[in-house]
Amino acid sequence: MTQIAPEKPQTEAHSHEQPLSWRRYFSFSTDHKVIGIQYIVTAFFFFLLAGIFAMIMRGELVTPPIDLVDRTVYNALFTMHGTIMLFGWTFPVLAGLANYLVPLMIGARDMAFPRLNAVAFWMVPVFGFLFLFSFLVPGGPAQAGWWSYPPVSVQNPSGEWLNGEFLWLLALTLSGVSSIMGAVNIVTTIVRMRCPGMSWFKMPVLVWTMLAAQIIQLFGLPALTAGAVMLMCDLSFGTTFFDPAQGGDPVLFQHLFWFYSHPAVYVMILPVFGIFSEVFPVYARKPLFGYKVVAVSSFIIVALSAVVWVHHMFASDTPGWMRMLFMFSTMLISVPTGIKVFAWVATIWGGKLRLDTAMLFALGGLINFVFSGITGIMLSSVPVDIHVNNTYFVVGHFHYVIYGAIVFGIYAGIYHWFPKMTGKMYYEGLGKLHFWLTFIGTTLNFLPMHPLGLMGMPRRVASYDPEFAFWNVVASIGAFLLGMSTIPFILNVVASWIAGKKAVDNPWRAIGLEWLVSSPPDVENFEEIPIIVSEPYGYGKTEPLTENMGG
Amino acid sequence: MKFKTILILVAIALILGAISIWVGQISYSWLPPQASAESKLVDNLFSFLVTLGTFIFLGVTGTVMYSVLFHRAGRYDLSDGPHIEGNVTLEVVWTAIPFLLVLWIAVYSYQTYQEMAIRGAHMHMPEAIEPAYAKPIDKSIEPMTEIEVEAKQWAWIFRYPEQNVTSTELHLPVDRRAHLILRSPDVIHGFYIPAFRVKQDIIPQQDMDFEFTPIRQGKYRLRDSEYSGTYFAAMQADVVVESKEDYQKWLAEAARKMPSAAPNQAASEYAQREEKAATAGWATIIPVPAPMVNYHPASK
Amino acid sequence: MTTLEPVIEKERLHQSSHAIAHEHEHDEAGNSMFGFIVFLLSESIIFLSFFAGYILYKTTTSNWLPPGVEGLEVRDPTINTVILVSSSFVIYIAERYLHNKNLWRFRFFWLLTMAMGSYFLYGQAVEWQSLKFGFTSGVFGGTFYLLTGFHGLHVFTGVLLQGIMLIRSFIPGNYEDGQFGVEATSLFWHFVDVIWIILFILIYVWQ
Repeated sequence: MTQIAPEKPQTEAHSHEQPLSWRRYFSFSTDHKVIGIQYIVTAFFFFLLAGIFAMIMRGELVTPPIDLVDRTVYNALFTMHGTIMLFGWTFPVLAGLANYLVPLMIGARDMAFPRLNAVAFWMVPVFGFLFLFSFLVPGGPAQAGWWSYPPVSVQNPSGEWLNGEFLWLLALTLSGVSSIMGAVNIVTTIVRMRCPGMSWFKMPVLVWTMLAAQIIQLFGLPALTAGAVMLMCDLSFGTTFFDPAQGGDPVLFQHLFWFYSHPAVYVMILPVFGIFSEVFPVYARKPLFGYKVVAVSSFIIVALSAVVWVHHMFASDTPGWMRMLFMFSTMLISVPTGIKVFAWVATIWGGKLRLDTAMLFALGGLINFVFSGITGIMLSSVPVDIHVNNTYFVVGHFHYVIYGAIVFGIYAGIYHWFPKMTGKMYYEGLGKLHFWLTFIGTTLNFLPMHPLGLMGMPRRVASYDPEFAFWNVVASIGAFLLGMSTIPFILNVVASWIAGKKAVDNPWRAIGLEWLVSSPPDVENFEEIPIIVSEPYGYGKTEPLTENMGG
Repeated sequence: MKFKTILILVAIALILGAISIWVGQISYSWLPPQASAESKLVDNLFSFLVTLGTFIFLGVTGTVMYSVLFHRAGRYDLSDGPHIEGNVTLEVVWTAIPFLLVLWIAVYSYQTYQEMAIRGAHMHMPEAIEPAYAKPIDKSIEPMTEIEVEAKQWAWIFRYPEQNVTSTELHLPVDRRAHLILRSPDVIHGFYIPAFRVKQDIIPQQDMDFEFTPIRQGKYRLRDSEYSGTYFAAMQADVVVESKEDYQKWLAEAARKMPSAAPNQAASEYAQREEKAATAGWATIIPVPAPMVNYHPASK
Repeated sequence: MTTLEPVIEKERLHQSSHAIAHEHEHDEAGNSMFGFIVFLLSESIIFLSFFAGYILYKTTTSNWLPPGVEGLEVRDPTINTVILVSSSFVIYIAERYLHNKNLWRFRFFWLLTMAMGSYFLYGQAVEWQSLKFGFTSGVFGGTFYLLTGFHGLHVFTGVLLQGIMLIRSFIPGNYEDGQFGVEATSLFWHFVDVIWIILFILIYVWQ
């Protein structure tokens, strides 16, 4: 396989692909590849939107006093920024990648439940619309942060029945239903639709991590839904579940919320771990180091992720024994995560590296992730957390995770599979420009948040003391740069999709089922269901991946 | 050859170690002044974590950068790298070492936590653990200061029950364990003084016991650390740590003053907003009126 | 794409795996059942969360019962419980008859299950009407109505599904592609039953 010269025209054999009409991307298609791209493009729209919210916020924070927007507007902006970035961008874009890649990678013709899949996708624009619609109701959108802690979240100053918080809870619940549908579908597909010969330990790590992530959705999301239902009852139907003045317990909501929302971070990062595990071997021309351990460690992370949530509540009404217990369980997560990091480093080591855009994003993401992992350990330590909890240190930490690692990983994935998805090559120069703008923007934007937090600047403030001005200006410059950085990306995608060079089946000489079919793949994916005979990542070997399709 | 490799590795480790220790020392300067006994404990732990973190970060990124610089494929080199699937010894080592490190960090954090003796709610009992004094102070001579702290949307009010003094500025005597009772009538607020490195969420309708020991005279900032609605960012107050004599003098003077309305940013911003007919904002919870207290910064 | 080397034992693998491939392609009912079980496991976490909340409230709230409320009447809910739990056995009998292709008996017992489920809902409505507290009577009222209401919604869904399955049983050739619908509805019914038993113990027995 690896000896084949890449210029050999491989696409000739697959000339019977369907005409790619743009219309089918706006239809109720049940093709997992169409749905995958629908997810990714829709999510990217929300990414830009929530990014604009962030830039307005950073504009307000250029100067210490409140001067650009009203405080209520600022509060609505950070609430909607967080909410839309998570539920409108990160979850859907990863669902999109899962949809596109999982069936191809396990040798299936489609997902287990194609119609359910389409329904789950079409709920994304619906709840996205609800989030946006909340800007138009009296009282404005939800202003209680994406945690929506009661009692603030149920205060409802507008007094209206149709208020932003109500719409927020409704949209969140819809998003949960959509995610559960997606999770049931992905889990069933992976467990039951693998092609012959693909045993558990012949699955690519991306499939492992997607499975792990969706299992978290299945046990975590219902807890959030339960919390959201109770909060909705408090807000709109007069119950007192979380009202301390009438015997309710606001801390219970925090438990229900974080029982899901901490593992939710792993729902987002695990697929990115999978992307790293796919990208590094291809561009380093070496097998993934310790494949089985990397695969299994995802499930150790799943198990641990269920017992760490209280670390978000160290400064809350949390007794000492609970603080110590959850401190230790949180720190333990660094062990399986460390295994992965070291495995990637060992994969790169001594390889034959090719720094294409996907590889650059993966490397940048890895470095950012190591940094965020270290600040994560600091945060898990109760005495340090008591100082920096709810400060910009936390904001810096999780933006390093979510932007520095997860968004970088998503970009790496999009560049890596772009030729497969569109049948076109992207422009490498624009890709590299995109990477450097993003990397510099990320560093300028999120690194200064750490000293700010250490100095004691609380998160979610619309105004601050002058002593914090310097680092805030730097962070704002970084935020505007990050905003700019999407321009070469959009240019690249649009231009190359329309007029790019045609992509061959396997432009990166990668090993994997998805690279054995045409770019883009036929509706049925495979002419003949592949039969797997080797482990994935067979770089440096001459064994074929499949019995009937080569590779 | 092998000996040479080990020697190089040891040398690199030593250099990294030196840099890490240096960064760990610098890390103290990233934090506010150490104004409480707790802050020293927290800063030592933080510095330790920074040292360890720097070593790991430089080790990992250094290795990655070395590969990026020196393990590049040639332009026309289409061959694969060596087929290495893994190495059990290496994998055991990089599982065991992080595990031991984690144990070390956990034990160190636990000890620091014990020394800080932070008391949250649910623990209305005499201290079981020796609190963190900078220097030993005899409790029989210096009874604890007990101050009631009320946090509401959006004002801090401090009440000294023995003298029946209210203030919007928190005055504390230096080198004495301060004992606060935190209360909130409306939503969750967070009591946070960065210079003291202490923080506690105030759950409404509960009395939250809270303690720490200021050890450095000066003026510090108290901030609300749990998002509490529209004027959350404006909910700040000054904390003055002063000598015992100054503290007593201040209490006596404040007790003589008649209560007057304290300046309150939330209330005044809201009043301004109401004056302007067309406002760019949405509905808000109406801030409590400026609190009537014996002492506030403008009452001098 | 060229296979560079012939694979050892190629033929043997080829034959066995093709049989598996065939199976994979056509086991849609199996996929649906698997997916449905996964969904029910996930759904059970919502109930678990509510139960956890209930236990927390019950053990920490100082004035648990609203003023004027002594406790809950247990007799009628017990009758209700017996009926709902027995309906689980009735639906099992119905399912057995369907397996044996005895459609009319299947329909009879299926209808009986529906009747029992409906009686349960009726009984609960009667109980709700007789109660002296409402949804907004403190956390006790809130959790009581939330738990019984959310469960009642599931019973209602179950009866609705049973109705659809009953109507579909009259479509000729309905069971040619397997009996996934009936099996899933039956499983859902057992699930609703188990949840009720826990709920009954938590709310009525543990007072």
